[in-house]
Amino acid sequence: MFDVFSDIFACRDNALTRMDPRAKLIVAFGMLVAVLTSGKVFMPLVVFLGCVSAMFAVGMPPRLVAIRLAGPAGIVAVLVLLQAFLVNGTPVLNFSLFGWQISASHEGLARGTLLGARVVGCVSVVLLLSSVTPAYKIFHALRWFRVPEGWIEIALLVYRYTFTLLDQTADVAAAQTVRLGYSTMKRSLSSMGVLAGTVLTRSLDQAVRTHEAMTLRGYHGSIPFGPLPEMSASDRLKVGVAIPAVGLLYVCLERWPW
Amino acid sequence: MKKRSGIGAIVLLASMLGLTSDTAHAMHIAEGILPPQWAALWFALAIPFVAWGLRELRVRSKEEPQLKAMVGLVGAAVFLISCMPIPVPTAGTCSHPCATGMAAILIGPALTVVVASIALVLQALFLAHGGLTTLGADILSMGVMGAFTGYGIFVLARRLGASWVVAAFMAGLLSDWVVYAGTSFFLATALHGDGSLETMFLSILIAFVPTQVPLGILEGVMCAGAYRFVQTRRPEFLMMLTKEREA
Repeated sequence: MFDVFSDIFACRDNALTRMDPRAKLIVAFGMLVAVLTSGKVFMPLVVFLGCVSAMFAVGMPPRLVAIRLAGPAGIVAVLVLLQAFLVNGTPVLNFSLFGWQISASHEGLARGTLLGARVVGCVSVVLLLSSVTPAYKIFHALRWFRVPEGWIEIALLVYRYTFTLLDQTADVAAAQTVRLGYSTMKRSLSSMGVLAGTVLTRSLDQAVRTHEAMTLRGYHGSIPFGPLPEMSASDRLKVGVAIPAVGLLYVCLERWPW
Repeated sequence: MKKRSGIGAIVLLASMLGLTSDTAHAMHIAEGILPPQWAALWFALAIPFVAWGLRELRVRSKEEPQLKAMVGLVGAAVFLISCMPIPVPTAGTCSHPCATGMAAILIGPALTVVVASIALVLQALFLAHGGLTTLGADILSMGVMGAFTGYGIFVLARRLGASWVVAAFMAGLLSDWVVYAGTSFFLATALHGDGSLETMFLSILIAFVPTQVPLGILEGVMCAGAYRFVQTRRPEFLMMLTKEREA
């Protein structure tokens, strides 16, 4: 999980990581809206291909991209089947199973494919965003969108200590495993409870230490956030070009074939 | 005949889902599934609960300054626990607990909604579990329904004289099942199209039974085990968090 849940690529230096997080959020939002409102599969698929190409371009290994997309791909398969067999319409496949007549419809298949395309399109946008923007920068950028500072403060703490706790959890789980803690179902259940309890107690211990450390540094109940810097002219220009480009692409692909 | 075919399709889909379920993501509605109007509606309904949680955080942290650190660290723990793979013997696969019932017992349901919203954003961004466009529905099912059910069941079981461990088990079990039922309903409302909402809801519900029923029991066991661990090793934390909530 540590390999998958890592922002190592977001900390590299490239054209996308240098871009203002607010600009990236606006463009990502525009792409998500375009994919969600599309009535044909073309727009979601073009967005998917574009985002996956961008992930490769910033140096993400294909294996990691595949792992991150594996879960949503399974959901897409289920969605297509669910829609094909549950939506009424022109039958494309008929068979009998234990006396039941099962039929897949053309309309259901088309609807399932569209939903599946939307899922892979949206997931690729979000994965690209997280691959080129560290989470703390996303959280700071959210202040610009009027997200309450209390939420951002807790989010920064959660993100900061997730990796520390992740290391500790992995150590405890490895120690349990070598002591045959997961050799039988009964032992596994007991070990899972102990592991979850250990994570909780360690997190609470860490909370006490963190609060003391923050108090020593002048903490008085809330983290002071400075003003956000002005978005640069080049980033404003990028947003100004990207959003109309997405809109134009959307209109063209929704009307295709012309 | 049509109803007969519908039942057949549900059975077929249930079997297919049972066979294709790799690592189950049943607790989260995936990115892009909900149409914009449904995504906006669930988001609008989730916002007041998050605002309530943030208000409680602001009010309580004035009296207890270390609360924010506590909530942040419990949030990190919840995020990690909700990513732990649990073996599900009936499906021959692994799934994840939702952990919001457990968190609600510790820090209360309103703050758990805030913690769940943050964990869901991180999972959507980095693990492709859930999504930003489905965040409202996911907050409502995992955060609101899971937390309030878990907390309500825990308090009710204690008032009825159940032991701490039994109450924690019931909270973990029922919060998990309620989250699963809620997720199925949100999915069905978006996916039924021109077909019957009831059939779609039923098919999603049945499809995930082989995974979610044993998972709920396992989450109950894990919640009870974790609670017992904290109670026996570090009871001062439970007293501190309960005292803060009562204050």
